[in-house]
Amino acid sequence: MTRFLKATGYALGLPAILLTAWWFGSANSTNPFWPPLQTILETFPTTWTWDRIVGDVFPSLARLGIGFGIAVVLGVALGTAIGLSPTLRALSEPVLEFFRAIPPPVLVPIIALFAGYTGWLGKIVTIALGCLWPILLNTVEGVRGLEPVLGDTAKSYHLSPWRRLVFVILPGASPRIFAGARQSLSIGVILMVISELFGANRGLGAAIVQFQRSFAIPQMWTGVIVLGLIGVLLATVFKIVENRMLAWYVGQRQIERGV
Amino acid sequence: MHVQSLSVRMRTALGAVAAIGVLALTACSSDGGGTGSSESAEPMESETGGAMMETVDVTVGLIPILDVAPIYLGVEQGFFEEEGLNLKLELAQGGSFIIPSVSQGDYQFGFSNATSLILGTANGVGLEAVGPGASTNGTEEDMAAVLTTADSGIATAKDLEGKKVGVNALANVNTATINQMVRDDGGDPTKVTFVELPFPDIVPAIVSGDIDAGQVVEPFRTAGVNQDLVSIGSNFLAMSPTFMIAEYFTSSDYAAESPEVVAGFEAALAKSFAYATENPDEVRAIVLTYTQMDEETANAVRLPGWPTEIDAASIDLQAELAVKDGMLTDIPDLSNLK
Repeated sequence: MTRFLKATGYALGLPAILLTAWWFGSANSTNPFWPPLQTILETFPTTWTWDRIVGDVFPSLARLGIGFGIAVVLGVALGTAIGLSPTLRALSEPVLEFFRAIPPPVLVPIIALFAGYTGWLGKIVTIALGCLWPILLNTVEGVRGLEPVLGDTAKSYHLSPWRRLVFVILPGASPRIFAGARQSLSIGVILMVISELFGANRGLGAAIVQFQRSFAIPQMWTGVIVLGLIGVLLATVFKIVENRMLAWYVGQRQIERGV
Repeated sequence: MHVQSLSVRMRTALGAVAAIGVLALTACSSDGGGTGSSESAEPMESETGGAMMETVDVTVGLIPILDVAPIYLGVEQGFFEEEGLNLKLELAQGGSFIIPSVSQGDYQFGFSNATSLILGTANGVGLEAVGPGASTNGTEEDMAAVLTTADSGIATAKDLEGKKVGVNALANVNTATINQMVRDDGGDPTKVTFVELPFPDIVPAIVSGDIDAGQVVEPFRTAGVNQDLVSIGSNFLAMSPTFMIAEYFTSSDYAAESPEVVAGFEAALAKSFAYATENPDEVRAIVLTYTQMDEETANAVRLPGWPTEIDAASIDLQAELAVKDGMLTDIPDLSNLK
């Protein structure tokens, strides 16, 4: 119980300090672009009504989910293939490094040229493409870094290639895959917003743009807060999924550390 | 475990910070238009016999459209230099991008549609008009148009219901006047979906089918017509034959601090307007220096009106339209914009 309280205290401590600092630091602000936190919080409930959540937040999250999902599937599939084949790896490594080094936001206008600014396609492609590289590269490393003993043992047990993939290779690489996916998720959230800033009409990023254009500055800040909250929520969900799927790995690490 | 979960939060926080950073950049962007050209006048040369006048550097935020051509001409003709001003011209996507920069003192002057200035004023941003920006030329050959493809099935404003319409910025004079066109045509403006795109991207987006229609001014109107787009009318002319779209403005703080600079800018601006009205050929030539237009397009563009005085009726009308669209609840004191 005390451990739980301590963990909660740590988790909430810094946000509480920051919010307090923001509250008092902005309390007497007369600058319309930096309204007091109190004003921002007061406009929150009237701004983020159910209609707006359905119209702007859900579509954004759906696009993020689809884009991220595509990146996971593609990244793991391609990453496994490249990780298993030294030839493929030698061929693709320079290309992968090239694509990885391109900042994903730069791609938004380029992707819009063929997928359009306004529809879902361009936005999903942007998110998927940005999320792909960390997952792909981590999968390659995870698969390549598998202990040879594991593979040899699986072979000597005459496991079929499919079973080897499902029961040996993917689980063995999963800690790295999750590390990549976690990185991708935060990139995905950024791209979700950026893809809606260009050709804005609906979505969380577009809503923030619209508030700025109409000088509804406190409302704009509430949008930024909603974004942050979504980030926290997604990270929490990700952590829960990761803890479940990597329970063996977490346990193993703890034993290794002698906890 | 603690360490791990903290690192997740850190990443999330960093992600959020990065996102906010991007938003802030967009909000204050001075380079939305992407044509990126900026000019500055030559420094004053000392004049024999006269006392050397001290020049003041001022930055002006503009949109890369034909409407702002007089200020480029004014710099070229030395009107601003005569007032002791050394102008640095910066381009942005729309007035709502420029207003924050002027308000925060990054720019001393800016060009913006009056609707954005009214919304800024209503939300506590201290702004003061220094002169008219541009108006419709008052003829059927207006320089603004709502363009669409010939086979889009959009013939009048009411047909925009349920369609995607590109505008350079959401919640500005263009959305307000298009909504009014739809209303006047017996339609429901809430059924129109507006999409924000930089002016140079609107025509390509209509041609590619990404949007159904789009509002443009010159030189993009001519470029669109050259690509077989058709106009369903000018959203400015539809308001009134003397409808004033935009204004040049400064912040209330700067107006109070440097009244001489503001007076000098106003005087040079008035000269520039008169010069532009008298020399349309020079307008056509100078537009090539800050947009990506070719000479043929520049020769075909229709010129806007450059009025000598602020049209107060247009300010009142834009305020009323802002209320109708739900962008404003009450009309604030707009005397600073008239």
